[in-house]
Amino acid sequence: MIEGKWHPKDSASQINALLSVNDLGRYTIELEDNKIYRGDFSKLQVSERLGSVARKITLENGSVFVTNNNDAIDKIFKQYQKVNGFIHYLETHLGWIAVALVITLASAFSFFKWGVPWTSQKIAHALPYETNKLISSGTMDFLDNYMFDETNLTKETQDRISRHFYEKVAPLSIEDENKIVYKLHFRSWKMNETEIPNALALPSGDIIVTDKFIELAKTQDEIDSVLLHEMGHVVHRHGLEMMIEGTFVTVAVMMISGDGSGLGDMGIGLGSALVSSSYSRGHESEADLYAFKKMLLVKIDPKSFSAIMNRMSIYMSEEENRTKGNNQEDASILDYFSSHPTTKKRIELANHYSECFKEGLTICK
Amino acid sequence: MEALKFNGSGSEYFKIWIVNILLTILTIGIYYPWAKVRNRRYFYANSTLSDRNFEYHATGKQLFIGFLIGAVFFILYNILGQVNPALGGILLIIFLLALPWLIWRSLMFNMKVTSFSNVHFAFKGELRRVYTIFLGYPILFFLLISIVGAIASTLMPIIQTADRSILAIVGFIVGFCFMFVYLYFFAFVKKNSTEYFIGNSHYGQGAFQTELETKKFFIIILKTIGISFIPMTVVAVLIGSMRSMVGNPYVGASGFVSGAELLFIIGYFVMIFVMMLIMSYMITRERTYIYENTLLDNKIAFESTLRARDLAWVMVSNIFLIFITVGLAYPWAKVRMAKLMLENTWVDTDIGFDEYISQKQQEVSALGDQIGDAFDVDVGIAL
Repeated sequence: MIEGKWHPKDSASQINALLSVNDLGRYTIELEDNKIYRGDFSKLQVSERLGSVARKITLENGSVFVTNNNDAIDKIFKQYQKVNGFIHYLETHLGWIAVALVITLASAFSFFKWGVPWTSQKIAHALPYETNKLISSGTMDFLDNYMFDETNLTKETQDRISRHFYEKVAPLSIEDENKIVYKLHFRSWKMNETEIPNALALPSGDIIVTDKFIELAKTQDEIDSVLLHEMGHVVHRHGLEMMIEGTFVTVAVMMISGDGSGLGDMGIGLGSALVSSSYSRGHESEADLYAFKKMLLVKIDPKSFSAIMNRMSIYMSEEENRTKGNNQEDASILDYFSSHPTTKKRIELANHYSECFKEGLTICK
Repeated sequence: MEALKFNGSGSEYFKIWIVNILLTILTIGIYYPWAKVRNRRYFYANSTLSDRNFEYHATGKQLFIGFLIGAVFFILYNILGQVNPALGGILLIIFLLALPWLIWRSLMFNMKVTSFSNVHFAFKGELRRVYTIFLGYPILFFLLISIVGAIASTLMPIIQTADRSILAIVGFIVGFCFMFVYLYFFAFVKKNSTEYFIGNSHYGQGAFQTELETKKFFIIILKTIGISFIPMTVVAVLIGSMRSMVGNPYVGASGFVSGAELLFIIGYFVMIFVMMLIMSYMITRERTYIYENTLLDNKIAFESTLRARDLAWVMVSNIFLIFITVGLAYPWAKVRMAKLMLENTWVDTDIGFDEYISQKQQEVSALGDQIGDAFDVDVGIAL
């Protein structure tokens, strides 16, 4: 005998009832007001089990018997039809919960750590080269309108640097990707009175160097090393990769957070920010490696790279101290440098390649 | 009056949740609609009022097609938006134009697949009205503001001869008025949308009624803004002092988290905390006001006893829990929130529900619900 409540078809009114099943496969529902419903047990429809949620059994006439006694329902229905779904089985077996937990954590971790970058890289390189141009169309105009000013460098300086770049540096990437047409742009970039030293690459092959960067660079090698780093971004199609990675992360997070009630969303912003900053750090190391390898080929000491990077970061921190009074807006400077960290690893790699350079090697392990 | 109850538990929901995620991962996302149904079913069926429970009747199959379309749209929007901002903008406009329709469809579908004590809900609002509220009014408001702005700028030369301090005062007053008008408009939309959502909802043969005033919403918004000034100042000071503590964040970034990132994380948490406090105030006041002015069939009354401090506490502690457990505490967080919400929702049960009977309804596809879901459009009316 299973205790429960009985509703007439489509009605909210309810009355206490008892359900029983006999050996012949017939059920009996006895209502409190002595009404009795009988029928073939196999004609009953029972809702799928979900935790300890109330169970609904629909009779042939559309009336409904509701009970919380899930275990008893499972027991009697088991003999006639399979009511306990595979999913409920998983949900109630601790071992499977543990397995689910481990698989979930492991696959979430590997998905973000390796899956996303790997797939994005494959997709980025599988797309036709022209995609790179497509995604940077309009970017240069945007940057010119909102970030950059015209350069203050003399025509001679510009010509000298450009000529050297087009003749000596740019051709180095032909063996990797022969469709890239590099174009060097000189711009001045100011933020709150501070001149920003920087070099940027657009996926299309446009490379922008700022006045302050040229000013801080002491040797041609230093300029070349940074330009090679930027070329590394272009050759490895990092712009495209970032875009694909971003899409992946957003879609994945949306799915995992279930029916986003707004609660989980709060952590998502932070999570995706940390994840994408880790990806961009990966891109930086890849570009570094590319630059170092090329530098060995053309006999430039990889130390030049760490030297100029160091000088730029020291300059920025001095500027930061100088303008500490008005500390608005410079969060964006912080952001920029957090994706370009002068980490130990980065310097170590530069030193390692520098050793190879001193030994006269062109390939470093 | 009797309060609703939530009978689910965090540990039980955890098992359902983790299996959902596992299956979603193993099926590379295809299981998502079925997972969503299980989630919803769990929360609806565990919500009870005088021993009668709610039920969610949608099936994974029903949600699946809408889910596919939603996912494709969402991915397209993301990619196109990055490839070409102009194209992304056009897509966004199309989406905004479709938004009222999505809301409308979603409301119809979700009401239809929800039942309480064996009787289904229904939504019978007009499509035209939802377009008026979410598209017509904003456009009208925008035009009005532009016209006023144009008149003001033509009048500007007249007072240009006056000295600077007068100009500053005039500017201040104009800005202030503009803010007031804007907030009043916000309250106006809130009033109309709430009346539309509730006033067109039905339970069986019974209809919900609600009569609200823009003025009341406006006062709640003004009070919220008044309150938010204090914590905002505190946050500004806090962040400022923390900045000087961290010093040169980007030099010596050798560890796992650099100074800049640490600052970012702390700032993020403080911001969330403050936002929660302010949001809680607004949510609870609006909820109380809406509930006490809502009736079912002109006889069954509602009441909300949700307090701002309780809501803020649960929200903030939930986020903290979720963060330190890298998300694993999510089920407990959700259950806590459901408990708080339901236990502070009161319904007049003296009359009883026995008279209510499900009405015949047309089939509604889950298209609107799922496309909206993909873009995180939250249209459900929280209980």
